[in-house]
Amino acid sequence: MILFKMALRELLSHKKRSIVTLLLSAFSTALFIFANALNNGTHNQLIRSSVEIYPGYMQITNRAFEENPNFDNLIFDVANVTKTLQKIHEINASAARFESYALYSTNEQSIGGMFTAIEPEKEAHVSRLKRSLVEGEYLTPSDTNAIYLGAELAKRLKVGIGDTLSFISTGADYSFAADNLVVKGLFKTKLYEFDNASGFVNKGYFDEVMHSRNIATHIIMSPTDLEQIDVVTQKVQKALGHGLEVKNYKTTLEDLILAMEIDTIFGYITLGIFFIVIFFVIGIFAFLSVYARIRQIGVLRAIGTTPKQVMGMLLIEALILGFLSVGLGGAAGAYASHHYEKHPIEITSLVDVDAQEYAKQYNMVAEATFPSEFNPPRIMLDMLIMMLLNLMTVLYPIVLINRFTPTEAIRYV
Amino acid sequence: MAITPDAIIKKVEHNIQSDSGYSKITMTVTTARGERTMKMESWNRGHEKSFIKVLYPKQDRGITFLKVDTTMWQYVPKIEKTIKIPSSMMMQSWMGSDFTNDDMAKESSIVDDYHAQITFEDGQKYTLTLLPKPDAAVVWGKIVLEVAKEHFVPLLAIYYDEDGVQQRILYYSDVKFYGDHYLPTVMTLIPQNKKSNKTVVKMEEVNFDVVIKDERFTKNALVRYSQ
Repeated sequence: MILFKMALRELLSHKKRSIVTLLLSAFSTALFIFANALNNGTHNQLIRSSVEIYPGYMQITNRAFEENPNFDNLIFDVANVTKTLQKIHEINASAARFESYALYSTNEQSIGGMFTAIEPEKEAHVSRLKRSLVEGEYLTPSDTNAIYLGAELAKRLKVGIGDTLSFISTGADYSFAADNLVVKGLFKTKLYEFDNASGFVNKGYFDEVMHSRNIATHIIMSPTDLEQIDVVTQKVQKALGHGLEVKNYKTTLEDLILAMEIDTIFGYITLGIFFIVIFFVIGIFAFLSVYARIRQIGVLRAIGTTPKQVMGMLLIEALILGFLSVGLGGAAGAYASHHYEKHPIEITSLVDVDAQEYAKQYNMVAEATFPSEFNPPRIMLDMLIMMLLNLMTVLYPIVLINRFTPTEAIRYV
Repeated sequence: MAITPDAIIKKVEHNIQSDSGYSKITMTVTTARGERTMKMESWNRGHEKSFIKVLYPKQDRGITFLKVDTTMWQYVPKIEKTIKIPSSMMMQSWMGSDFTNDDMAKESSIVDDYHAQITFEDGQKYTLTLLPKPDAAVVWGKIVLEVAKEHFVPLLAIYYDEDGVQQRILYYSDVKFYGDHYLPTVMTLIPQNKKSNKTVVKMEEVNFDVVIKDERFTKNALVRYSQ
């Protein structure tokens, strides 16, 4: 208790020095927490967007489909797979798709593109296709001869809502398939290439024209708990057997995840440099403040204070400052993280010019908003790191000062 | 004097092509899940022009194709539309078979596009290796062609992609004699990435050097002769 009182008195008697150290540490803590939160939030958003726009969190395909994506390697009993999935409570929703290729033709143009069948209502639960509607209407399960077309593809085909276009394609049984379609809705996602080459029709209609009843190329699923996705993936795989392959976004979007991880590593390197600077600034400050008190510590030692007690007193000082500054900085960082999670930072001008071109080139999602992630356990961890950093800054001066004998310390100028 | 590779190819092409020909074809596509048969009529004028009309199955009857040089059009009665096949679709399957649109649209002789070399020869056959000429707009990285010495009839052609990976093998069989043409009337195409698939083209009726009106090779003919 006496050590605590002494430490507190020391801090209060050098208010200016204490406040500067406290503010420096608090600012560093807040910045560290917010930088981490922004990094994680932006990455999470990018992954979420990329996954939810179309690919989905989990997918089932024929095991041979990835290597040979042809019509011999399909899911041939969709009803049975769906029945199995309904028994797995960890699966929130599932929807079958049949991805195919078609030549779209109008009087003006003929363009090749993706021609995909979806179950409109179920699809709305596994992707953002429905939410990406920009004009007209989304598909319904009773639609025939209606196409939900990417806005960029519509632009290239020079068609709008209500216009007719034709498609020719190869059916699931390799027969010739062709029909006329009316443009029912236009969608725009943040994936330029996707909007530029995709058209969707109701699977009920598609099955008639393409002879694909009870057949699909993919079944897309969304888990009830995203945190458990790896466990759920294994569970579904076990339930479906070896002929079908179950993957989640960590595999299907492996490149994106890897890019995010690399970006995170670079983020940590930047933060590491920031840490070193902060460590030295706080460290020098601590060093100078401890060294300015060598004579005082010499007197304390001369009247019987042990080196351990000196160390204890200095550590308590650092702890008090640390608690206050990390608490203050933590609160500020947490507030900023929470605020910018709800109201993401918008840099529209950046996205308008360079980012959109970059996104087009690499078929990535061009985001105009940068949300942070409010993650209390993560914030607590960041605060703990900053606390340890604060303590570490006084360790060296303590070791140095305890090397002095009381007589040397009293005589120190 | 030894025969040159180009001379071998020209003799092969003389056997399988005509200046002005007609044929009735049956095409059978076999996949892991079943078999489909199509019947067609075909008219051609050299390499440059050809016209194909689908006769069977019933739902595809009346689909017509016109190829002039490297451009290909298709008329589909169900949608009442003539569609020009864009170059981006040339490697897509032709009528669900293992042949591609590009196979149907090839304009020139392989002598024009490939540099040929005899890489093997025995008493029965020549083996020629064809590598694309620097400026040739072709899709294959290499073709190995086996030709029977007797009558210069093609036996098989192995197609490789640009990475040297074998993509498909075309077998020629059932040689019949028409005038001065020794024609293999059955062609069997086996894609290497779909081992259970094959497409067999059988020429049921062949007429070399028939008179065909110019009008047959126009876009209007696609609709007119679709009936």
